[in-house]
Amino acid sequence: MTQNRREFLKKSSCALGMVTLATQVEHFGLMSALAQKVDSQEEANVPSDYRALVCIFMAGGNDGNNTVIPNHNDASLSNYSAYSAARNTQGLAIAQNALLPINVPRMNGLTYGLNPNLGTVAGGINSGIHELWVQGKMAIAANVGTLIRPMTRTQYQNGSIAKPFQLFSHSDQVSQYQSGRSDAFSFTGWGGRISDRRTAPDNPNGLIPMITSINGAQLFTAGQSTLPLAISDSRTTLANVLNPQGFNTSAESQARLAAFNQLRAQDLSNNYVAAASRITEQAMVANQALGSNPMEVTVPFPNSGIGYQLKQVARLIKKRGDLSINRQIFYCQIGGFDTHNGQINGQSSLLSQLSQAVRAFYDEMVVQGVSNNVTTFTMSDFSRTFNPAGSGATVGSDHAWANHLFVIGGSVLGGNFYGMNTSNGTPYPTLVMNGPDDADSGTNARGRWIPTTSVEQYAATLGRWYGLADADMPIVFPNIGNFPTTNLGFMQP
Amino acid sequence: MNNRKSRWVWQILSANFLLFLLVFPILAQPDPNPDSPTPILISEPNSTRALALPDSKFLRGNVSRIESRAFLPDSKVVLYVTNLDLLADEGASAFRIYVEDAKGRKYRFPVLDIQPLKGQEWIYALTVRLKDELGFWEEPLADGDVLIGITWRGLASNRVRLGFGKTGGDIKDDAGAVPTPAPTSPIKKSINVEPNYVGYLYSGDRTRFMEQATFGPTSELDTRIRRVGLRTWLAEQFEAPYPTNPYPNLALMPINIDPNTCDAICRRDFYSMYPVQNWFFKEAFYGEAQLKHRVAWALSELWVISGVDTQQASWMIAYHQLLSKNAFGSYRDLMYDMTLNPGMGNYLDMVRSTRNNPNENYAREILQLFSIGLFMLNQDGTLQLDGSGKPIPTYDQNTVNNFTKVFTGWTFCNQACQNSAPGLVNYKDPLILNQNNHDVTAKTLLSYPGAVNQTIAAGQNGATELNQALDNIFYHPNVAPFVSRILIQQMVTSDPTPAFVGRVASVFNNNGSNVRGDMKAVVKAILLDPEARGNIKTDPNYGKLREPVQLATNVLRQFDVQSASGGAQSDGYINQIVAPMGQNAFNSPTVFNYYTPDYVIPGTALNGPEFGILTTGTTIARANFMNTMVFSRVPVSSFAPLGTSINLSEMQTLAAADTTGNRLVDTLNTRMMHGAMSAQMKSTILTAVQAVASTNTLLRAQTAIYLVATSSQYQVQR
Repeated sequence: MTQNRREFLKKSSCALGMVTLATQVEHFGLMSALAQKVDSQEEANVPSDYRALVCIFMAGGNDGNNTVIPNHNDASLSNYSAYSAARNTQGLAIAQNALLPINVPRMNGLTYGLNPNLGTVAGGINSGIHELWVQGKMAIAANVGTLIRPMTRTQYQNGSIAKPFQLFSHSDQVSQYQSGRSDAFSFTGWGGRISDRRTAPDNPNGLIPMITSINGAQLFTAGQSTLPLAISDSRTTLANVLNPQGFNTSAESQARLAAFNQLRAQDLSNNYVAAASRITEQAMVANQALGSNPMEVTVPFPNSGIGYQLKQVARLIKKRGDLSINRQIFYCQIGGFDTHNGQINGQSSLLSQLSQAVRAFYDEMVVQGVSNNVTTFTMSDFSRTFNPAGSGATVGSDHAWANHLFVIGGSVLGGNFYGMNTSNGTPYPTLVMNGPDDADSGTNARGRWIPTTSVEQYAATLGRWYGLADADMPIVFPNIGNFPTTNLGFMQP
Repeated sequence: MNNRKSRWVWQILSANFLLFLLVFPILAQPDPNPDSPTPILISEPNSTRALALPDSKFLRGNVSRIESRAFLPDSKVVLYVTNLDLLADEGASAFRIYVEDAKGRKYRFPVLDIQPLKGQEWIYALTVRLKDELGFWEEPLADGDVLIGITWRGLASNRVRLGFGKTGGDIKDDAGAVPTPAPTSPIKKSINVEPNYVGYLYSGDRTRFMEQATFGPTSELDTRIRRVGLRTWLAEQFEAPYPTNPYPNLALMPINIDPNTCDAICRRDFYSMYPVQNWFFKEAFYGEAQLKHRVAWALSELWVISGVDTQQASWMIAYHQLLSKNAFGSYRDLMYDMTLNPGMGNYLDMVRSTRNNPNENYAREILQLFSIGLFMLNQDGTLQLDGSGKPIPTYDQNTVNNFTKVFTGWTFCNQACQNSAPGLVNYKDPLILNQNNHDVTAKTLLSYPGAVNQTIAAGQNGATELNQALDNIFYHPNVAPFVSRILIQQMVTSDPTPAFVGRVASVFNNNGSNVRGDMKAVVKAILLDPEARGNIKTDPNYGKLREPVQLATNVLRQFDVQSASGGAQSDGYINQIVAPMGQNAFNSPTVFNYYTPDYVIPGTALNGPEFGILTTGTTIARANFMNTMVFSRVPVSSFAPLGTSINLSEMQTLAAADTTGNRLVDTLNTRMMHGAMSAQMKSTILTAVQAVASTNTLLRAQTAIYLVATSSQYQVQR
């Protein structure tokens, strides 16, 4: 019955879908990347391998200060005591003996510590992502944030260099991370712009868009000429994520389906109607591709929001052959990091969910034989103030700026910190309020580290591995020329 | 007009139609014809080329002698438009100029000025700068004709050709385009036959009005508005008792719930969002005070708190009571009540913010999201720009730090308030001040011309300071345009013209009696604005995507929403099939609401807030919602004591009465689409209806309703 229904959906939707598609291509460039003219020199260069970027957005602003922590007593750099002195009284410091040690060549071989929830946790189904550091499959980009151009503390304070607009505001900082520019509003995200440039050469016969969001509409995924697929997580099968219910093989039902499909090509003069129809059309086209030959993962995934999302990504990756996809970008999100209060419990739970899910995903990629082809990376609104907000059981922290981000995969040059040096000669900031890396000043300074590495540099490093040409860098990242390098070095060449 | 009296009279009148005829005209507030004239762009006498000339040569005088030609990018050009009927203060900001090039790319050029011609006052000179202001595409190439059209009050003009750089090129005229030469005298308005009885006869506009002011049209409501008109109905709504279904009376949640005395069902019924959601939908289905329910809902998407943070129904109810209390009150009172609402205090951490351990969360969000926004606005809601063309921030981190100090020291009233109970956190009564935890240092707040309470002296009581600080915010010039624009977006259209925002903002600033923030006046100004009103709207950028909650209630109310088996009211349990469409009522994912007012639809430059939750996934969920409700129902279950269904008997009767299906589809057109269904759409639906045996009237009705309700043409309220 399911097969039959799918079959007829395919037939009727195909025939009508083409009419609709043709009309909309004309009007709005629907799937225009698919239809785009391929540059002649690129035509022969459809990649023979598969590569995917998986973005995990830690929404709300993850506290990097409690994610990657000094675990040494070297006095020349901020050490555990410096960390503890600022956070312990209010109850926000993590005990040194609980930290998961990581040795960092870039930090003169000193030991740092990961938040204990990134390792083995009670009730966990795997040993977390700390082990991936040890295996050299995980790198940390340190002190990354939104910037228009490199900026010293003096320049920040005297206003001689433009700051990203609306620092410390959730919505604006999320937009800037996702759009890849901090000097102006952008209609598109950097994932979307990569898709604009790469869909035609890389996925000439792709049956779904280059980008899939498992977490709704996101600026990151929006291109000028391409739109993302957005589907629900693994609790719905791929065959059902975009399947309109209630149609059967009767003549009446088929006539209704035909009309349902035809209506999308009509009355497009109103731009809101056209935009809504475009999204429905895209869903119906993708539904045909996702309906058959279901794929299931073999590694157990945790029952959490991010677990379900990454499991759905893993299914799609397994199905890449059916979908004729060579290059793919995914967006997942885990929310709740806006820990103004209750941070100890809140962040612990979220980091352990993240770690469990990402580890399951990595292991699944190993099983699928594509761990070297898939790179997972994190982003977040911003980090949080080094100085806690409140104290005791409800202690939290407020909005800040530069953060530490994870990059995970078989092609990552793991086991090290990356990024431009701060004033102390390393990529990890000096943990001193009103100190050399603090945007705040005076006696009330809260510890909001000024980034030394821009979101664009982080993203460009990932984009380069994905296949973005040098010539396309300034198109995808308009301000990349303001920074000394487009390659932070954490990906294998 | 005495509203109380009007309602009293109405009650008597309903019982006595003859008396009604005699008395009612005296009490009724007249409603004008809602239709604005459709603007006409003037072309050359024998072609569709715009009558236009460079601004430098602009002479007020004989239009017919003007020669049209090509124009340079970025130059100023004067176009001519007729068939307008402008308000006294209506100018350039009421118009938009849309341009399409041969590649099909769309641009918007700024309108600089509009003036009537001397001696030919029925013709207006419209000055436009040939420079894109959207910035989605690079500037158009100056290589040939573009099509140019204007919009005004939700109406689109004809489109004419304009040589951009040079004339000629590949672009085709719109189908049916004809020359529109300058008229030698004013275009006569079509003569309205005066009705011989009072009433609001504009059926397209009635439907549109109900979509904007309520949770969806019903036949009963339509009849009532047809009789009494918009203004009288509004006056009545402002006084209507609310809610019709009493708020659930829920106890405060114990810190530890004893599983022996309160099982999972008990927790669902008393401490989760479930009773709030069911009450909310039931009130949306059946409440008499629809307008207040609708405005309170709009305010809940502005002053967001969320059950995601704390699943406690009692505090969500206490919060909603403040929204509805102030929905027709003062925005300043709303600011005060929301600030001291314990749910908000918990959600944005004000209850934990003390002198020694301040928390910035509420300070930042009340400025950014609830009152003034990030950038200085003009009174029409457009951005103020500095000398280098950049927007001007309204405040900086230092301002946030100072407001943070103002908001320190407040906490739950766990003793000595009406709802205080031993061992419970009081989420019902307003927060109280612990002066010992209040930061008494001096503060510097928002700076703006004529700023109220820009500085707060040291050593004051926290409650005094709170009011000083709220006044500092409330009198900021941004509040009127910021709040007005969001409410317009919630009720009428996603991308209102600056003129519309400006008209409403001026009412926000002063309701006519020197009162600022009078919500009743603001709501009335929004709903009666000429940009909101009219039988047909043709502006390609007019309207808004129905958010899932509105989509659900509009369709269900249209077809007499009832219990699963009919004969009784629904229990309101539908959130479980609304949430998959991307909107889980009272469980907004963040303080930024289910979607943000500034959301721009991917692949376009269009501002469409509700598109923030429309994806490939949720668009299919919308169709699946319709499938459930049109072909099935929400059955009775342990969650749904009565269930929910729609009543199709009237539609079946129409299907039976006309076997061609025309009456059925025509009725849906009138009731759901303002009578604006295109011939093509009607024909497509009729084909599907006719594929069903004419004897199967149920399936015919279901087929037609499913197709209308799932269409983008319907899902966009316009």
